Amino acid sequence: MFRKRHQVEEHDVRRDARVAGLREFQTPSLEAVEQRRRQLWQRTATGLAAVAFVVVVLSLLPDQEAAVFGAGRAQIGVLVIAGLFFLWAFEKESALERLTRSLTDERVLTAALTNRLHEVSLLLDAGKQMNAVLELDELLDTILRSACELLDATGGSVMLVENTDLVTMAVLGRVVPPGHRERLGDGVAGHVALRREPVLIEGKADAETFPGLTERDHYVDSSMSVPLVHRAELQGVLNVNAPLGRSFTEYDLRALAVFAEQAALAIANARLYEAERAHVAALLELRPRREAG
Amino acid sequence: MGIHRPRVLIVEDDPDTLVILRVNLNASGIEPILAGDGRTAIARIQAEDPDAVLLDVLLPGVDGWEVLEELHALGDPVPVIVCSGKNNPHDIQHARDLGAVAYLVKPFDIDRLVDVTYEAVRAKRPRIVVEDASPAVEGLELA
Repeated sequence: MFRKRHQVEEHDVRRDARVAGLREFQTPSLEAVEQRRRQLWQRTATGLAAVAFVVVVLSLLPDQEAAVFGAGRAQIGVLVIAGLFFLWAFEKESALERLTRSLTDERVLTAALTNRLHEVSLLLDAGKQMNAVLELDELLDTILRSACELLDATGGSVMLVENTDLVTMAVLGRVVPPGHRERLGDGVAGHVALRREPVLIEGKADAETFPGLTERDHYVDSSMSVPLVHRAELQGVLNVNAPLGRSFTEYDLRALAVFAEQAALAIANARLYEAERAHVAALLELRPRREAG
Repeated sequence: MGIHRPRVLIVEDDPDTLVILRVNLNASGIEPILAGDGRTAIARIQAEDPDAVLLDVLLPGVDGWEVLEELHALGDPVPVIVCSGKNNPHDIQHARDLGAVAYLVKPFDIDRLVDVTYEAVRAKRPRIVVEDASPAVEGLELA
């Protein structure tokens, strides 16, 4: 259905282009339409000026000569021609208007597709970088750096769940120190972890909404916190801060939430790898003892 | 026989949703025009005077709320239907305060969207002739 509709729209655009006098119309271009519109109105103005000139000349003829030439009928004829000419210009202008609208719509669609491709490409790059790292500490730094690059943030932190606490594992910029602990449910990150809902904060966080909030030693205009959840298991919370004077939007929050899904997967893999490595190390430790025994 | 098709501006950043809404509105006798961000939306509203606006809230740069605030501040009478993924009372009230005529929660039924759009168009132009008009909905509501 979409294809058929697209063909119909393309046909409409070509018809409008033909009516508007853009016979060489191959690639849609707003500039070509504007140029054609200028030409059209220049011609219309010239044509109407010529008509006005003829009408004035005919009206200035002496009565005798006017009778010979049939000036009255000629004047009416010229005015009829002018009317038809104006209708022609009006039809062209209508076609140009429709064409402008269609081409603007195409540009909007192209821009939306380009933006989406850019976002997907950034997320893929971030995903590649994250999947290339298996050491947890290095991975958390990569996640934080990538998130800040993606959203033009100045800083932030990654907190991981440890029993009933959230522990700050990686920081960027002036935020809480590494190792800082918050109970699940306390403060912004605790709230996000408990509810598993992304949060966008503008200005200072409200202590009523976020009980157990700790005072920060610096102020940020805008910040976002998203839960890191993989297969229904909470891994931690990712926080990012906007530079002074800039506010994050719901659009940024959505992008961070999508990014967090990949980050949570990478963290789960890194944790699994750490656990396996510890397991192997324990087995290797047992081997000499068994050989000795 | 009707010749005037109401012109509706779709403001949406997601290309798939843009195309789906464009095709469906077109098939329902509405002439859709598109904007992918807030700035383009305001420019097209001022330049082309649409009969109604379908406004997504999540937009890059100038977001849907800012567009609504600007239209409200300008006193622009164009009926705006806010489309959002969130169904929280605060947002619904905020949209109402800023003059939106309806609030639709995504994912929405396309027939319902068409009905609400026609009702919004009628609110701007009391008597409008359309091709293949969908049945009217009784009164607008924030749903």
